[in-house]
Amino acid sequence: MSRGQFFRKREFTVLGLIVVLAIIFSLTTERFLSVSNLTNLLVQLAGTAISAIGMTMVIITGGIDVSVGSILGMSSVVAGKLLMANFPVVVILGAAIATGLLFGFFNGSLVAYGKIPPIIVTLGMLNIIRSLLFQLLGGRWISGVPPAIRVIGLGKWLGIPISMWIALILILFFTYFLNSRPLGRAIYAVGNNIEAARVSGVNLTRTILFVYALTGMLVGFAGLIYVARTGIVQTNTGTGFELEVIAAVVLGGTSILGGKGTIVGSLLGAFLVGIIKNGMVLLNVPALSEGLVIGALILISVVIDVVRARGERI
Amino acid sequence: MKSVFNQIVENRMLFLLILFLILFVIFSVGVRGFFTFYNLTNMTQYGVELGLLALAEMLVILSGGGGIDLSVGSMLTLVAMVIGVLIGRAGLNPSLSIIIGILAGLGMGCVNGILVSYLRILPLIVTLASLYIYKSLALIVAVDPRFGPNPMPVSNFPENFYFVGQFRVGGIPFQVLFIFLPVILILYFLLEKHAFGRYLYGVGSNEKAALFSGISVTRVRLVVYTLAGLLSALSGWIITSRIASARPDIGLGYEMQAITIAVLGGVNIKGGEGTIGGVVLGVAIITLLYNGMQLAGIHQIWQLGSLGLVLVGSVFLNQLLLARRKF
Repeated sequence: MSRGQFFRKREFTVLGLIVVLAIIFSLTTERFLSVSNLTNLLVQLAGTAISAIGMTMVIITGGIDVSVGSILGMSSVVAGKLLMANFPVVVILGAAIATGLLFGFFNGSLVAYGKIPPIIVTLGMLNIIRSLLFQLLGGRWISGVPPAIRVIGLGKWLGIPISMWIALILILFFTYFLNSRPLGRAIYAVGNNIEAARVSGVNLTRTILFVYALTGMLVGFAGLIYVARTGIVQTNTGTGFELEVIAAVVLGGTSILGGKGTIVGSLLGAFLVGIIKNGMVLLNVPALSEGLVIGALILISVVIDVVRARGERI
Repeated sequence: MKSVFNQIVENRMLFLLILFLILFVIFSVGVRGFFTFYNLTNMTQYGVELGLLALAEMLVILSGGGGIDLSVGSMLTLVAMVIGVLIGRAGLNPSLSIIIGILAGLGMGCVNGILVSYLRILPLIVTLASLYIYKSLALIVAVDPRFGPNPMPVSNFPENFYFVGQFRVGGIPFQVLFIFLPVILILYFLLEKHAFGRYLYGVGSNEKAALFSGISVTRVRLVVYTLAGLLSALSGWIITSRIASARPDIGLGYEMQAITIAVLGGVNIKGGEGTIGGVVLGVAIITLLYNGMQLAGIHQIWQLGSLGLVLVGSVFLNQLLLARRKF
């Protein structure tokens, strides 16, 4: 990629915004650059970034998954319950991921085999899973999670939280996967022109099933990180999480029309949202206006693109 | 027999009507207290609030181009808070406050519309952003400086504010007779009898063709998003009046329910296809379901679960039957 191309990319706009905000926050607050704050920022980001990997692929195929918040809640409940029953960490890890995979696979089957529009499938599942979760929790909370698991949420290696390391490894792997593996290329092909993809021999159902199942798995893992980080699971755990993930992906330049987008872009999008939330807390801006800033930012970054692309739809 | 079967599959309205009747019979026979005049009229109260939002969603989705409005719940909340704060805290005249609240809804919808139609940003992105913005504004408006920095609900309304949400005329809730029915009739006229309806369906099913035949795509979209703001505002006003309280979290999650009902009612998520009758039937089915389950003592959280099941199930069944018919 030539240098000129890079500057015209969406990732550049987002990166620029992150840098500007980081400079503003380090100049206006004392705590922004402190180790404890940056750690905190990264820990909170990890779950969103991991889930955004899957969501990016789903959106690239031209789909959407609004059920991720409920899946996150469900896998935290499963992980939390097993934790309280003192199961070994490996079992809990497996169970959290399997829970996500189960629902992701179900979503994917309905989209791929049932030919039902993704927004309908996942809207339905958002509500169904939330009801199941309530039934499972019985209106109570889980708290006082044993410390063994909390290392995933709070532990560090080389100064960077373990959860962020995991996120970075997954991002690297899936970036390679999307760019260089046949199934990865098929994901773009499906989003760009589904007919052309079919004619050129892409297995459509398998590709679509894959992206939803993978998203479920990753979100299931993010649920475990959530429990490990906060130590609490409630009935409303994960509500609104889907919007946060979609916001990160869309901010990162993935086209909601499909066929275009990168995982690194989504990571940057997640960073941008995270850094704003963090900076606003430090600046003592009331939490109430957080939505105002995030919303405005989504619009600003898109408008910048519109101006640059001169009318091309994003 | 075969042709009857085909008709049911092809005709969404008929399908919904049969679903409605089946549920109605099941609840009437199986649930005590369901088939009473009081319950049947009472339940329409709830239907109105979700129904207005579902109609808003229908208009927006019909206009195509990825049309969707995620911000209806936030617009509803902000309107509720504006009305609540103006009456309860500023002591303004209720009628004036309601007018200001509804104008605020119109304005919010209009902003969405301008961003979608003139700036050509995709609706999902615009309304995701405005969902955050309006929700945040509602929280800010809800702060009462006299009681610290936290958002607070408003519930000191004068008696005459309750007429829209709590009064009945001839046993039928006021908001059904004087808001919901007129809205349905006006929209029916607009969509079926007026040129605007033809423009809207045209824009939704084929944007380019509509453009070439001289329809202003931008103006049609601007109008539907503005109408969505207006309908959400009406819903916010009615809820505030019914529960006698303006709460900053009142509209949480309503957008998903509204979209679900519109889609259940046969609105094609890709635009250009769907009827007002279908959506009204969708509202009726969901209202019936919520009410019947509540009376049967099933926990409220299953309302959402059943909503999801009905949505996925009905579309799945439709697809299955359609596929079978082809062979």
